[in-house]
Amino acid sequence: MDLISFGVVAPAVAAAFLASLVEVVEAFTIVLAVGTLRGWRPAAAGTLAALAVLGLLVVALGPLLDRVPLHLLQIVIGVLLLLFGMGWLRKAILRAAGVLALHDEEAIFAAEAESLAAEGRGKSNSHDWIAGLAAFKAVLLEGLEVVFIVIAVGAGRSLLWPAALGALAACVAVLAIGIAVHRPLSRVPENTLKFGVGVMLSAFGVFWTGEGLGIDWPGHDFALVVFAAMFLATGLATAGLLRQRSGEIPR
Amino acid sequence: MNLLREVASELLGMFLADARLTGAVLALVLLVAVLLVEAGMAPLLGGTLLLGGCLVILVEAAIREARRRS
Repeated sequence: MDLISFGVVAPAVAAAFLASLVEVVEAFTIVLAVGTLRGWRPAAAGTLAALAVLGLLVVALGPLLDRVPLHLLQIVIGVLLLLFGMGWLRKAILRAAGVLALHDEEAIFAAEAESLAAEGRGKSNSHDWIAGLAAFKAVLLEGLEVVFIVIAVGAGRSLLWPAALGALAACVAVLAIGIAVHRPLSRVPENTLKFGVGVMLSAFGVFWTGEGLGIDWPGHDFALVVFAAMFLATGLATAGLLRQRSGEIPR
Repeated sequence: MNLLREVASELLGMFLADARLTGAVLALVLLVAVLLVEAGMAPLLGGTLLLGGCLVILVEAAIREARRRS
């Protein structure tokens, strides 16, 4: 792998890995609640069913994307990445500034446990079904974002496999840690990860959109690093400014 | 049906969480495309406008939301 291709492969894999880490941690909290309260059979069944649906989506969409002309694909994926990445970055800035509350896995675990208990009350036969569906929904909904990110960062330069491997590595890592600690992974610095992923996806968005519009970026793939640095600096400066205005203690 | 609705809402939320941000990004890309294709703007200038515009939109969206919540 030469340096030029490494310049785009590394951010693609890193973006897929980090984004998946955030989403898998969120899905894991719900699956853990289902498994702990209703047993591991419905939790595993719901999770596997959702993973099968997500896998089918990737298998179905991957070859279709090969048929779309490259410039059109780069514009469409680039714009979607801009919308998605800047949305994540905006939320991460607001959380870093103390404007929005940080994600609390312990609270989500408690809320899901309460919801499962309430839904299952008086309907003992439907316990497994409800629990399985809760796990299915959590993995499917969080997984949709992972599928989009893998396809988006991978499709522009035929990097679907490296990006998918990055996402898979995140799943394995969360599962391994989750099995070891057997509780919600509340210590994962989720907002820092989200900040980083938002920066990378936004940088990819500018890069692909520009290439799709016929812009030959100076430095080629390494322009991505410059874009990421500019989004990071702008995001940190905005968070600092908002924190200062709201008089919050820096986190 | 509920599940399908939730999937649709998740997909929509992924790209339309802030309607003004979405509108501004789409307008910016359209503007850059028109300037490059129709007005013959230098590609590098178009690229700079795209990057700079995105950064401005991001800052505006964050400040606007912070003001709304204060």
